[in-house]
Amino acid sequence: MADAFNRSSFFTWLVDPAQSTRDAAERAYRFAGDRRAWVVPLALGIALLAISALGLWQSPDDFFFAYLTGWSFLLTTSLGGLFFLVFNHLTRAHWSVVVHRINEGLVWAFPLLFLLGLPLLFGMHDLYHWTHAELYDPNSPQYDEVLAGKRAYLNVEFWSVRMVGYFAVWTLISYRLYSFSLRQDVDPDPSLQQKMRNTSAWGLPLLAVTTAFASYDVLMSTDPHWFSTIFGIYFFAGGILSAVATITLLTLILQHNGGLLRGIVTPEHYHDLGKYLFGFVVFWAYIAFSQYVLYWYGGIPEETVWFQHRLRGGWGWHSASLVLFHFLVPFLLLLPQATKRAAPVLGVLAVWLIGMHWFDLHWVVLPVLRDSAGFHWLDFTCWLGLTGIFAGALVYRLSRHPLVPQNHPSLSESLHFENL
Amino acid sequence: MPTLVQDLKARLGIFESDADRVYGLLAEFSDPGALLHAAEAVREDGYQHFDTHSPFPIHGMDEAMGLGNATGVGVLAFFGGVTGCVGAYLLQWWTAAVDYPLNISGKPFFAVEPSVPIMFELTILFAAFGAVAGMLALNGLPRPYNPLFYSERFKGATDDRFFLHIAASDDQFDVEESAALLQRIGAQHIELVKDDGTMDA
Repeated sequence: MADAFNRSSFFTWLVDPAQSTRDAAERAYRFAGDRRAWVVPLALGIALLAISALGLWQSPDDFFFAYLTGWSFLLTTSLGGLFFLVFNHLTRAHWSVVVHRINEGLVWAFPLLFLLGLPLLFGMHDLYHWTHAELYDPNSPQYDEVLAGKRAYLNVEFWSVRMVGYFAVWTLISYRLYSFSLRQDVDPDPSLQQKMRNTSAWGLPLLAVTTAFASYDVLMSTDPHWFSTIFGIYFFAGGILSAVATITLLTLILQHNGGLLRGIVTPEHYHDLGKYLFGFVVFWAYIAFSQYVLYWYGGIPEETVWFQHRLRGGWGWHSASLVLFHFLVPFLLLLPQATKRAAPVLGVLAVWLIGMHWFDLHWVVLPVLRDSAGFHWLDFTCWLGLTGIFAGALVYRLSRHPLVPQNHPSLSESLHFENL
Repeated sequence: MPTLVQDLKARLGIFESDADRVYGLLAEFSDPGALLHAAEAVREDGYQHFDTHSPFPIHGMDEAMGLGNATGVGVLAFFGGVTGCVGAYLLQWWTAAVDYPLNISGKPFFAVEPSVPIMFELTILFAAFGAVAGMLALNGLPRPYNPLFYSERFKGATDDRFFLHIAASDDQFDVEESAALLQRIGAQHIELVKDDGTMDA
């Protein structure tokens, strides 16, 4: 049945909660690629993860930290996409309707990410210092008063419950937004639009709180003595930048391979995506610097230690690279109007910013493990392996449905949108 | 021949009157569409010193008039921003480390970290100055007097009327020929504007 909305079988549900509505799509909105479009990234991803598994046997520490970096990269990107979708619904943005489906494809990622996150449970001891039992034994020489004080929050049981809770919330919000939108493709019921807005309205505060706490649990607690109240926003800022870059890149790829979306996504839309990229490059830098400057001013050892660690042993080069290549270079490149409207430039910048987001997370995670800077081959294989699987599932989702929400009431306005 | 300055101003739609004190021809059109087509026709005929006036922005008018993408304001805002950033850096350094060094909890007299907020703010401020001042300068504003104001009809340009003005400073300008062109492309009413008044053409 292609002309109605039907739930898919359980295993497909993990990747796509609805049966294919491809046949209901208007020709211009139909995915043009074939099976290879999602099989190739998926196969590459599985192959790279298989290679990484060899590294797990050789050096579990390196594996788990690399895996956490890669997994957080996908998690932040998906969360960024969910934020982007939610506030586009809430502001009733018209321009973005043509890229909504691509955004929705990115957002239905949480069931798969939850599965992909399960291997981390076997690395809890390596990843999270606070899981060590001897820290809490007052008779042990390793007894840690500070961590003992945090034990009510930082313990494996509560941590696991929280993670399940976060994923439940994210899955619920993204399920509603994604499935209402797919339903709209085959059933132009005007109330669906209102439902998506309502979901966005209660979803946004929930999303904000869960994202912030997830950032503390997943990344900040790798260095359990350290704390930063702005860390959640930092986590969000990098993620949404990566999400907008991903949406831009996917749109460009869909448009240039197979001729789809041609004349549908125009330089006007790229211009706006470029503006968002520019805005979030600045926002990321603003938040990253805010976190840094307060600790610089305070100069309290328990606060500055995190940055001390990231300025020594070669990590200083990574920090400097972030300032230069995560902020200054993309800032200057995205500043003129012309680069935001030129597809090739924007494509290169999107790939660049996605890479820099991973580099940023690498800088957050890896200094916990290693005193001296640099990369391990596992850092790349885990990241690209997970990304391959993620991308395969994403393209599979996109291939099953119209590439734009074809019955969206503002679609026509979006198609004719002009900036100037 | 127009001088470089006149040429530059003309590119931005600021036209000076000729020595014979004829400022140009002012033609009224019925609607935005007609004005758009008129602008296209006038440009295609080779005129460069002309401008259009309407109560609201007309989509596509930039291309119709051949104005291109005006990057001037952007460039000025950028250099304003750079000035603010560098200026703030120097300000911080000079006040904190040279003119009046104070030891505050052992921090260096001058460091980049606490200066960044000031550099950020002054970058924004000077970029805004650059943008606003640049916009005014490139538009030739403020300009309290313009001979077009002699036309009674022209007051409608802020209400419900649409005008095209061909400046006398254009090399191709000729009262009769230009008026004939305007007539041909559908002008409803044509006036000859002089520096001290108007008359029907």
